[in-house]
Amino acid sequence: IKEKMTLDESSSSSKAPTIHHVTVSAPTNIACVKYWGKASIPLNTPINDSVSITLQQRDLKAVTTASCSTAFETDELWLNGAKVSLDGNRRFYNCLNGVRALGKKKLEGKVHVSSYNTFPTAAGLASSAAGYAALVYAFKELFDAVEEYEGQLSTIARQGSGSACRSLYGGFVAWRKGSDPYTEGKDSMAVQIAPETHWPEIRALILVVSDAKKDTSSTKGMSTSVATSKLLAHRASQIVPERMEQIEKAFLAKDFEAFGRITMMDSNQFHATCLDTYPPIFYMNDISKSIISLVHKYNDLYGEIRAAYTFDAGPNAVLYTLEKYQVEILAFMLKCFPSSIGDDFVSNSELAKQASECELKPELLEFVQVAEEGDVKKIYCTESGPGPQRLDDGLCLIDLETGLNKYSP
Amino acid sequence: MSEIFSATVSAPTNIACIKYWGKASIPLNTPINDSVSVTLHQKDLKAVTTASCSASFKEDKLWLNGIPVSLEGNKRFYSCLNGVKALAKEKGKFDGMKVHVSSYNTFPTAAGLASSAAGYAALTFAFKELFDAKEDYEGQLSTIARQGSGSACRSLYGGFVAWRKGNDPYNNGEDSMAVQIAPESHWPEIRALILVVSDKKKDTSSTKGMSTSVATSKLLAHRADSIVAKRMEDIEKAYLRKDFESFGKITMMDSNQFHATCLDTYPPIFYMNDISKGVIQLIHKYNEFCGEIRAAYTFDAGPNAVLYTLEKYQIEILALVLHCYPCSDKSAFVSNSKLAEEARAFKLSDELVDLVAVNHASVGDVKVVYCTESGPGPLRLDEKESLIDLVTGDNLYNA
Repeated sequence: IKEKMTLDESSSSSKAPTIHHVTVSAPTNIACVKYWGKASIPLNTPINDSVSITLQQRDLKAVTTASCSTAFETDELWLNGAKVSLDGNRRFYNCLNGVRALGKKKLEGKVHVSSYNTFPTAAGLASSAAGYAALVYAFKELFDAVEEYEGQLSTIARQGSGSACRSLYGGFVAWRKGSDPYTEGKDSMAVQIAPETHWPEIRALILVVSDAKKDTSSTKGMSTSVATSKLLAHRASQIVPERMEQIEKAFLAKDFEAFGRITMMDSNQFHATCLDTYPPIFYMNDISKSIISLVHKYNDLYGEIRAAYTFDAGPNAVLYTLEKYQVEILAFMLKCFPSSIGDDFVSNSELAKQASECELKPELLEFVQVAEEGDVKKIYCTESGPGPQRLDDGLCLIDLETGLNKYSP
Repeated sequence: MSEIFSATVSAPTNIACIKYWGKASIPLNTPINDSVSVTLHQKDLKAVTTASCSASFKEDKLWLNGIPVSLEGNKRFYSCLNGVKALAKEKGKFDGMKVHVSSYNTFPTAAGLASSAAGYAALTFAFKELFDAKEDYEGQLSTIARQGSGSACRSLYGGFVAWRKGNDPYNNGEDSMAVQIAPESHWPEIRALILVVSDKKKDTSSTKGMSTSVATSKLLAHRADSIVAKRMEDIEKAYLRKDFESFGKITMMDSNQFHATCLDTYPPIFYMNDISKGVIQLIHKYNEFCGEIRAAYTFDAGPNAVLYTLEKYQIEILALVLHCYPCSDKSAFVSNSKLAEEARAFKLSDELVDLVAVNHASVGDVKVVYCTESGPGPLRLDEKESLIDLVTGDNLYNA
């Protein structure tokens, strides 16, 4: 830190410039109707609407401290404890400049930002949504920014990472593509359809699936899809609008049958457009497919949809269900995907215990084809939760003496 | 015993480059879109069928691969039989006669290679020869084979063969027929490598699968209405021009799109597995490395890969396959031992080897490789090849 002399030479002792700081946490979200394909790359707007459930920040979250001081020489960013160059980082500066312009507090000086997430990197769980939501929210709190219109902050988060806009709200959140996404980003924003309190029985089981290879990046993948898949173009213009309407209705009516069915169909259609890309993109693997097959068998057995799978740009499965079915489904998955890891395999030990005590119906046991150990690496049990939260200043990730990152993983 | 009339034929299979997936009319067995395929040479893969009839036969009988099969309620069989019989030049000659039919195919069942196209093409052609039938219009026989099994119509011709869906496939099957775009002599350099892939699970039947797809996939409807027609045009032009770059690209894209519509089905249908995916990625790497399309994959309703290529690249591609897919029994791995020898002696470039080093396959991922080319339509065989005893009328064939 470089100590700058204050302009006020009359003070008897020189005071170190203030480091303004704010610490927040932000959630991730799992889409039920998928975003895949940009209308405008510079604006980062989508070719279709999407909608997701914001997950509880207990297990999976991004924690970010945004700090600002005239004593800082340059803007700095640390991610998970490691310094990251901000050179040419358009996404970061979109967020910073966008929020700062709305700030009531006109703070001068460079920013030092430190962020970490509780998503195990090996898990391949997308953390950019949580990350950019945390960044935008942290800046909002730091500069005391006020939206000129509702949803404006989400248009800024969107420019960091598209789906981050949905993480600015809790519960069931839509991302409206906007009236003219090819040329206009102002109304390409998130809208809360229902808060997390509306359907508190919703549960999500995240099955982290083993994968040898590195996935195609979303940004690159969706660009190739837009360029080469005719099925994607049709999906965006003719299929998604109706699905959005139906799934929003279903969620508001707490109709899991309809909600689940649309979720599964949209996940499959998203992956279908990836396969229709040239060269084709494969995010799901044989383990993902066997999970799909097990869920269909499970639902068929009960004659109703009790579990709904959805897959993002990777092999991990998210199973949406209701609280009353959670233990049985977890028990079923544990039977199908054994692990010798022990206590760490399931994120929630109370649920793991209940699942181990759960006696599965013989008909379900018949579906079990025991997979190879390690096919599923971990299972998170979570639920819907709120949008970003301000954390206590005491949790600051920046050292207030040095202005440098103090977080290490 | 009255005279036993007979005819013995062999018929080929075909591998589609633009896929048939989805019926317009189930009773008529017409498709929602056109399709086109390359007819494969009968030397490795064929169906052999003897169709015989006699006033002395008491009932219709069918043997498949030596095993008697009930004909009760077998609509497909009777569509072929009755359809062809009605076209017999000598009206009335065969009235009241029952048929004995025996058929086998050289497709290893474990391979999961579709044999119904070859089977029904053989059946139709055998009846045609048996009854000395004549078409009222060109392509009519293929409309009969189509009723046995859709893609069988394309196996009635050699070379590059299209199946036109017809003007009104929902109501009329008369013009839903096969048309030869080019004979096998037009592009003799075309080669096909069939990689038989290991699969634990049993596949969804095509008939059932395509019905669920039609019922639930909106992407399939769009494909049939708005995408296939132009692709057919483009691929036919490419084939006639011998433009492998275009032919190959369309073939790969269409295979992927077919499988995409299967994934868009509810519940989703997965025909390809991780090994199939590995083959796709390998071929893309290879083509990119070469700077042009030299190999084009296509997958039907199963995990087996068919790689189309040209004669000049065949050895290199076979060498690449041998390099990437370890086998336990070298002698049995490749159907053509001469080509296998040449491929084993072939030195792949170091760069290419490095590029594909990341694809780790296990022994048995690819079980066997067939090397073949394009070939003619069904052929009449000599009477001495008959699978039916021409004195007793019994089946002669034992698997």
